[in-house]
Amino acid sequence: MEVQLKLYGSSKILSDKEILNIELPSNSNIETLRDALSKVISKKYLKNNLQNLSKTAAFFNKANEIVNDNYKLKNKELISIIPPIGGG
Amino acid sequence: MTLHTAIVETREKKISSEEAKKFIPSEKNGAESIFIGRVRNENSEKKVTAVTYDVHDQAVIKSFQSICNDAKIKFDKNASIFLEHAKGYVLVGEISIIIAVGSGHRDEAFKICRYILEEIKHKSPIWKKEHYVDGKEEWLPGHSLRPKKEIK
Repeated sequence: MEVQLKLYGSSKILSDKEILNIELPSNSNIETLRDALSKVISKKYLKNNLQNLSKTAAFFNKANEIVNDNYKLKNKELISIIPPIGGG
Repeated sequence: MTLHTAIVETREKKISSEEAKKFIPSEKNGAESIFIGRVRNENSEKKVTAVTYDVHDQAVIKSFQSICNDAKIKFDKNASIFLEHAKGYVLVGEISIIIAVGSGHRDEAFKICRYILEEIKHKSPIWKKEHYVDGKEEWLPGHSLRPKKEIK
């Protein structure tokens, strides 16, 4: 299965596009997505201060609600990654 | 209407304190408090030229409305509130956020301004990327929205 990860803030370092497609095993949940993200970061982006992103990010579903680690992902589902925030 | 919240795309428009000043007065209000946040030229001993603000539009507007309504309930239900935040590239000296409050009394006006600003920093999905004089750029650290008990 695949999820479409909409990138915000520091996660935009991961791609030039707004959405990053991530391959996951079937029946994956947010915890699986965190693991996959951690692998992507450790392979290519450790120099970019992203090493904690997979742990500290929250994830929004399409309704813009935070979903917990047990949330079951659907194939092609659009999920937003919400790195630690700091506006104002 | 006593509440205005918006995200201002800096490619299209600049945040204007004049609009805020026109919005908040009311015969019920004896006090007005305006907070203006601007991009400054230094952070952590690095010389800053600009900041890019990234925003999750829908979630930010929802959070702005919720925060402002909470502020009214907490401090003054008749308060007028004007809140705008920039999205995009903002040069040093330009406005990144404006919070203008008209309220019955000065104490409530100050408190509402402060409350809204602090809540935004902890609840509204907005991110800052600083641009430096040497051409480098960096996303700034922030406050995680993931529940603390889940972070191992």
